[in-house]
Amino acid sequence: MLLEVKNLKKYFTISRHQHLHAVDDLSFSIGEKEVLGLVGESGSGKTTLGKTLIGIHDKTAGEVFFKGQQLPDSYTKNDFQRQAKDIQIIFQDPYNSLNSRMTAQEIIAEGLLIRDKSNLAEVKDKVAYWLHQVGLSPDYMSRYPHEFSGGQRQRIGIARALIVEPKFVVCDEPISALDVSVQAQIVQLLDKLKDSMGLTLLFIAHDLSMVRYVSDRMAVMYLGSLIEIGPSNDVYFDPKHPYTKALIASNPEPDPKYEREHETPLIKGEIPSPINLKPGCRFIGRCPMVEARCREETPALREIGENRQVACHLI
Amino acid sequence: MQDSSLSSYSPKPADFIPLTKQLDKHGISRPSLSYWQDAWIRLKKNKRAISSLYLIIGLLAFTLIGPLLWSINPNLQDLDAISQGPSFSKQALIVETPANWGGVTIDNFPSQPSPNFSGLLSSTEQIEIVGQATTQYVRLSWQPVEGASAYLIYRNDHIPESPEDLGLPLGQTLAGNQVSFEDRLQLNAQAYYYTIIATDGFNEASTFTTQQVDLTLAISARQADLRNIDVEVGATVSLPGHPFGTDYLGRDMLARTMYGARVSLFIGIIAPFIFVLFGTLYGGLAGYLGGSMDNYMMRVADFVIALPFLLFMILFKVSFGIGPGENGIIPMMLALILLAWPGTARVVRGQVLLIREADYIQAARLLGANTFYLLYRHIIPNAMGPILVTLTFAVPMAIFTEAFLSFIGMGVAPPTASWGSMSNQGIRNMLSSPHELFFPALFISITVLAFNLLGDGLRDALDTRMRGNE
Amino acid sequence: MSKTLALEVKNLSVEFDTYGGVVKAVRDVSFQLNKGETLAIVGESGCGKSVTVQSIMGLIPTPPGRITSGSAKLDGEEMLGLPTKLLNQYRGKRISMIFQDAMSAMNPTMTVGKQIAETLVVHQNLSRRQAMKEAVDLLARTKIPEPEQRAKQYPFEFSGGMLQRAMIAMSIACKPEVLIADEPTTALDVTIQAQILNLLQDLQKEYELSIVLITHDLGVVAKMAHQVAVMYAGQIVEMGEIDDIFYHSRHPYTAGLKAAMPSNKAHEQDLKVIEGSPPDLFSPPKGCGFCARCDYAMSICEQRPTPKFQISGDHYAHCWLLHPEAPKSERQKLDSFMKSERSDVT
Repeated sequence: MLLEVKNLKKYFTISRHQHLHAVDDLSFSIGEKEVLGLVGESGSGKTTLGKTLIGIHDKTAGEVFFKGQQLPDSYTKNDFQRQAKDIQIIFQDPYNSLNSRMTAQEIIAEGLLIRDKSNLAEVKDKVAYWLHQVGLSPDYMSRYPHEFSGGQRQRIGIARALIVEPKFVVCDEPISALDVSVQAQIVQLLDKLKDSMGLTLLFIAHDLSMVRYVSDRMAVMYLGSLIEIGPSNDVYFDPKHPYTKALIASNPEPDPKYEREHETPLIKGEIPSPINLKPGCRFIGRCPMVEARCREETPALREIGENRQVACHLI
Repeated sequence: MQDSSLSSYSPKPADFIPLTKQLDKHGISRPSLSYWQDAWIRLKKNKRAISSLYLIIGLLAFTLIGPLLWSINPNLQDLDAISQGPSFSKQALIVETPANWGGVTIDNFPSQPSPNFSGLLSSTEQIEIVGQATTQYVRLSWQPVEGASAYLIYRNDHIPESPEDLGLPLGQTLAGNQVSFEDRLQLNAQAYYYTIIATDGFNEASTFTTQQVDLTLAISARQADLRNIDVEVGATVSLPGHPFGTDYLGRDMLARTMYGARVSLFIGIIAPFIFVLFGTLYGGLAGYLGGSMDNYMMRVADFVIALPFLLFMILFKVSFGIGPGENGIIPMMLALILLAWPGTARVVRGQVLLIREADYIQAARLLGANTFYLLYRHIIPNAMGPILVTLTFAVPMAIFTEAFLSFIGMGVAPPTASWGSMSNQGIRNMLSSPHELFFPALFISITVLAFNLLGDGLRDALDTRMRGNE
Repeated sequence: MSKTLALEVKNLSVEFDTYGGVVKAVRDVSFQLNKGETLAIVGESGCGKSVTVQSIMGLIPTPPGRITSGSAKLDGEEMLGLPTKLLNQYRGKRISMIFQDAMSAMNPTMTVGKQIAETLVVHQNLSRRQAMKEAVDLLARTKIPEPEQRAKQYPFEFSGGMLQRAMIAMSIACKPEVLIADEPTTALDVTIQAQILNLLQDLQKEYELSIVLITHDLGVVAKMAHQVAVMYAGQIVEMGEIDDIFYHSRHPYTAGLKAAMPSNKAHEQDLKVIEGSPPDLFSPPKGCGFCARCDYAMSICEQRPTPKFQISGDHYAHCWLLHPEAPKSERQKLDSFMKSERSDVT
């Protein structure tokens, strides 16, 4: 296992009696060179999870092990410096994640130049190589972020993270802000790069359809908890948890005949606020098949097949 | 099946050869522009801001280069030319420094009129100009009138139309045989109409004659000396005019406005630079540290904002041992710097708080960046725009404060010229010679307006929200 | 079956002045919207879809924007070039619009109910009390729970999905003939997107709404549209009935878009993507805009603008491959590519 997460909690304090349970008692692990897709609606805590794992947020409780070594609960500058060669992140917002005063070259080279400024020519070659790797022409080296499209900016963000050749990369919804056709480009690019570099990825997204092309396993998150985890195709084509089912069925199929013949099964309501959660199943308000047990007991993830876990009483 | 209206071209088979060359797939063709280049282009499109920029450059040239071209001592007093309106360069004669003129006295003038004197005084004949009539003095003499015991001298700027329209009474001679008069009252280079009326102490002559006198502009030899003009008496020199007029001591307003700008702009630019720099450091630090430190630092800033500026200005003046009527430039700068920085600090803190949360800062931290790197590579360049805007708005504020303090007599003291103190003096003569107030007030207004418009334009140009991504 | 036109746009061209020159954002766009139907305009960001509808609504800032030619007729009445005062009699009343970002489209200092009531007061001369009652009713119709309480709340108290519902309520307040929806669900989660799309379909039936739907998601198109216009680089490259576009597409770009869509049912493991990005409309290509990214490009594609070819009935495409003299081999390649796509989804 490259990364192991044990009972990780991240609460935000809103006021004395109000705590936002962004990540609530999560345990999972990611193997070497594995891609774990993490899926959930906005407000499910998936981004907080990703950022807590790599130290951008302090952990409230729980442990994270990277290559068997425990990562600190609260990061200092030295921790980040030590970790820089191992763990990186790709951000969601292609506009806010690049400094608009810097050229593409300066942005991509940042990871190299922070550590060593001595060999500028070599750095430039490396930047050109990486621009090529992410599918951009090295001619664009001296252009500024605002001259690129959203997808192109995301490629620059990928090059910045990967130029230091990390082992583990958190992809924090890298495709959510993009057009579907550009999403496909980025997914394909990450798929190619993970193979050639032997990367381990935590790929966060808000729906499953794109993630399944790149991930080996998929985890579905709802209100700070994991509700289903398993091999990608199993989860996608045979979802067990009612929420996973609804999430997959809600995505419209690009096939008008199919859409005409099938009614989209609607899931009622919206994701509730994660402040001061009560015991019981988190999905209770929107679930089509609630039983008395669901109201009293919070379902835990349990094994239901090879490598598959679901948190639902009714399965 | 082809839509005929749209294809006037009939393709040849060669057109359908598959395209083998690789075209640019990335679709970026517009010229590359950095943030600052882009901002400059946007600023250039803003006509108001650009004309303000030119105006400010012109103003700097006016103060710095102006005195080289207009080499008149701003403190040179010319009591011959006080509170004069705007005028241009003219030729002037150098005349002897006016000495006492004995005048013309008729020795054989009968003390008693002859017996056959009718009792009616006749008009004064043959008014003559003695010497040359210049703006230094006009000397007149005339034929005595029988029975006169004195003569009344009037001056007018047009030909009198009636006995009631003789103009300014200049004075009267003391005896009937004193038939001369020297006029040195506020003479301008123009035509005057002098009227001399004989009087016997009870009655005045019912008829009069008027003499036209054309005056030549002249300065006395001593005045020429003061102005370092080294020419003989009788020579003609070219005298610089006063494009802005002169003030109540005859000092050239143009020169004073130029020198006054130095004080105004010195305070208006140096003080903001210092307090914006301090505010930037303070606010940047508060924003970067965040948490309770930020809280404490900003409460201190709030405290400073609450301090009354004028009171502190007076306090500083007193503690520096500067009395009323003495120059208070240093305490004024000090008060400005010590009390005006919190505004900048607030703006910069807000910016830094915003930038600190940006994803690219997180990315840099994950790449191992230290605080110094984050500050100089990310935070400062991104906060630069708002800082620059604050600076451009701080400049007119400081200029106006200086002008206001000098106007109420707290700042620059005479004889040092500053726009504020010039306005202060000008307002006393506002009704009779409005130019003394008009020019310094105009310059204050234009400068403050220009800096404000430039600041407005800069804010628009540097605002990233207004950048198009089309 | 005869169809009446709700909205007819002809030869619309829009330009923007920028410091370096003119950006031709929309080039000669024509489309028709039938009454009670949905026309989807599909394309990547920056292809001019939003500019097209914004210029119809008179929302293009001029300068720098400029409508250089074209007409847009609402039920036969010309809307382009109208002075704002006259335009306001159409906008909000007979043609209304909903946006991707509902939060910035609403006034944050006014309760949601009041904002809806405002349109009613302005356009239908209702009294304040009547308008408020109507507003609550509209919120209920857009399936917002507890509409009375919700009407008294401010936009920031609404979630993204609820806000989009409230905006839809506001846009249908005056029972418009045409609703323009500019990426209404792009910012929403899929479960909420499904709810909103269903709501739009219900409202379309109830009010006989004609909808112009702008999206980049072919899944949304498949669910919603009757007619589809595919836009690329400021031009419509293919247009037709929904089944024509999905099952008989003749343009390589449409085919590429479809191939890049993930499918729920197909078990294939690879995404096919269109490499590259749309051209910069700062200097649009001389020939076909898609030429640089097209696998089937021929030398004429780079040189000559593509004419319009009728494929069948209302189905048109702009592509030189459709020319009778074009080599059959290239066309077959495209056909078989599209067939492989089709076999995946049946």
